[in-house]
Amino acid sequence: MSLELVCPAGTPSALRAAVEAGAHSVYCGFRDETNARNFPGLNFSPEELTDGIRFAHRHGAKVLVAINTFVRAGSPAAWMRALANAEAANADAVILADIALLDHAKRHHPKLRLHLSVQAAAATPEAIQFYAETFGVKRVVLPRVLSVEEIAALAKDITVETEAFVFGGLCPMAEGRCSLSSYATGKSPNLTGVCSPPEHVSYSDDADGTTAKLARFTIERFAPDEPAGYPTLCKGRFIAEGKTGHWFEDPVSLNAAELIRPLAKAGVTALKIEGRQRGKGYVAEVVAAFRQAIDAIAAGRDDPDTARRLAGLTEGGKQTAGAYKKTWR
Amino acid sequence: MTDHQPGGLPAPLRLLAKPLPLLPIGTVLSLAVQRLAARRPGIFDRIGPYRNCRFRIAPIDLDFDFLLVPDGTRARVDTISRKAKVASDVQIGGPLVDLLGLLDGTLDGDALFFTRTITVSGRTDAVVALRNAIEDAELRPADLLGVSGRFGGLVDRAVLGGIDALRRLTTASAGSSPAEPSPPKSPDPTAGPAPSITPFGSLP
Repeated sequence: MSLELVCPAGTPSALRAAVEAGAHSVYCGFRDETNARNFPGLNFSPEELTDGIRFAHRHGAKVLVAINTFVRAGSPAAWMRALANAEAANADAVILADIALLDHAKRHHPKLRLHLSVQAAAATPEAIQFYAETFGVKRVVLPRVLSVEEIAALAKDITVETEAFVFGGLCPMAEGRCSLSSYATGKSPNLTGVCSPPEHVSYSDDADGTTAKLARFTIERFAPDEPAGYPTLCKGRFIAEGKTGHWFEDPVSLNAAELIRPLAKAGVTALKIEGRQRGKGYVAEVVAAFRQAIDAIAAGRDDPDTARRLAGLTEGGKQTAGAYKKTWR
Repeated sequence: MTDHQPGGLPAPLRLLAKPLPLLPIGTVLSLAVQRLAARRPGIFDRIGPYRNCRFRIAPIDLDFDFLLVPDGTRARVDTISRKAKVASDVQIGGPLVDLLGLLDGTLDGDALFFTRTITVSGRTDAVVALRNAIEDAELRPADLLGVSGRFGGLVDRAVLGGIDALRRLTTASAGSSPAEPSPPKSPDPTAGPAPSITPFGSLP
């Protein structure tokens, strides 16, 4: 078994932290709307990317560049420039979702290795083979809606590598098709690269705790010592039919450390950690923990209790195996 | 009210810190940040349009706050009374050792938010930009003091060793593992309204 560990980097220092912690590959994006983590102060300039790739290559690691938002109609220049800059920086692959951009990459950057972003939401053999045969995509990042058994069945019917998320934030819907943030703020991860843009997030206090709002929508109330989650509509707690609950999704992190062996047996090529918006403290800890787990399992040993080790870094203080174990079916 | 606030400095150390505002800390820190900006302007480029925002930083275990305007070579750091009504765009609160952990990158801001260890109110976008800029800066004590070489290494070891000792002291007092963020703070009934809390990023 030889699993590739793909790790997030929102800044050059996080890239170095990921590489030094044992990442086989690091994924990152440019400092603009061409990637799905377009937050203030985050991401790379073309020069920083070039330096980062040089550092990674010196240490035997690869760099994958996420250009995974959908091109704004009539204004493709930023996305085309990002592709050219990624190639010039000697990126090992680009992670794309937009069909037009995939087509442009195939025609104008034929040497670039293409990965299909989770934002493309390709979850069937037919969809994945379309991207493989039409654009020459070499790897698909699997949507977080499949069980391990479904991944095993899927892997037998496709000709490309698969990459599966194993840790970090979760989305409740098919990636690339969620309009909750766009509905509330006019900005979305799909088009502007940002979910719940921070300039639309606000908090207020009273005696009972803290109220979180996204634009004009109240999305959560926390008691003073209650664990918190991200201020997204999907993680909000709402009242419906007299009951209060997280009706879209609980504020909880994915942790599939215990499924590394089954995922490998299912034919998965690479394991992916979410969190380009997280700090290098998170990156270093999560990457090191998963690298140790992968190495331990490859050597025939048990997982060194990765879930417990990472509990302090999870959203809402909770973790789940997500759709990999569909107990609701 | 107890002598020790969870995750905060023990009472004797808080007592020792009381006269600090009488020293010219603000002037020293202002010069340090300005020198840093001259040497490494990229840090402040990352803050972008938020470099003129006023960040009020309130270590809950000290009796005074810091007011930071991270405007590159025109940056300012002032110490102000906890009770002072000073206009600010962002308010950040938390145990001193956790705030220092954010500065040197050993702690993750989102994790501290999830556990309610740190509190932030005001312009969330400005906080996100500052957090990401600091994250990437990989600041060492020697950077702020403008020293390098062997002496810089000695300064780093001394200061970081002191912070590590402080962290162990506070976590031991609070009864938690040093590897974990400080536990959520209990509201102090004698204090004013607690600052709001916000994460340092959000995700699809």
